[in-house]
Amino acid sequence: MSQGVYEKLQAMVGEEAGPFESPNEVNMAMIRHWCEAMEDGNPLYNDEKYAKNTRYGGIIAPSQMVQAYCMPPLWPKKVMPDPQAKAVRMMDEAGYSGVVATTTSQEYFRPMRLGDRLSYKIKFVSVSPEKTTRLGTGHFLTSEYTYTNQKGEVVCLQSFTILKFKPTV
Amino acid sequence: MAWKSVYWDEVKEGNELPAQKREITRTTVIATAIATRDFTPVHHDHEAARKSGANDIFLNILTTGGFIGKYMTDWSGPEGQLKRMVIRLGATCYPGDTLTSNGKVVKKYTEGANHLVDIDYNLTVAMGPHAWGTVTMILPTKS
Repeated sequence: MSQGVYEKLQAMVGEEAGPFESPNEVNMAMIRHWCEAMEDGNPLYNDEKYAKNTRYGGIIAPSQMVQAYCMPPLWPKKVMPDPQAKAVRMMDEAGYSGVVATTTSQEYFRPMRLGDRLSYKIKFVSVSPEKTTRLGTGHFLTSEYTYTNQKGEVVCLQSFTILKFKPTV
Repeated sequence: MAWKSVYWDEVKEGNELPAQKREITRTTVIATAIATRDFTPVHHDHEAARKSGANDIFLNILTTGGFIGKYMTDWSGPEGQLKRMVIRLGATCYPGDTLTSNGKVVKKYTEGANHLVDIDYNLTVAMGPHAWGTVTMILPTKS
């Protein structure tokens, strides 16, 4: 009953969870691994001498790394009370088994310096009416993430949209 | 090492960023998945990826974001700052793909004290566009 699940999802709009703290402070080892994998040679991320004489006064992490700092640990397993995950489960149960991420956007407000400790909150912000796409029929679900540092300053706002759909066979 | 900067004063709407290419290997997919702390099996486990309907393990979204950021700051130099990034996701990027990045300055403007440019970009694989959208950067000025 797709009408039923759509109404339940609409009622969930505005649900929030968090803040959840990053298991790691912003640190050189994770930055170096990131830059190595991305092949990113920006000296702000790896050259203390260079970074010291910039407006940052020291090494910063790549802005897009914000989410990596907040990924859940592989062990010990943690189940976060995440409204997006709850919406996905509800749609799975209603037969919308397919999932594809469609859009993500980030806006950056402050640099991440070595030693910063990040936290994030997640908010379920919208569900679209039923749409038919080339993948199948389903709903677009959007969540917003707010990342803050240990001073409570906003570092990044992120929005993430997925399509949950009944695959066209 | 001296680092070159692209200055806002010198940029023109319509300027194209030099294209970049990267050969994507299994090592790339797995090394980036782990560096972004994404342990979802489809990014390192071939069997799990096949079961999910994919042809092979594939690049995760955080890495796509990482590649876009690198492409932008490689062009601007380290004084350029990422302000906003919108990523629309298309074709999956698999080992064996060549990922090609292109970009073009579409708007030059100021916002408060900031000197900004909007860059439309796309990252393509053989199957078509992998990711595309607009990045806003704050650039240094000569004055």
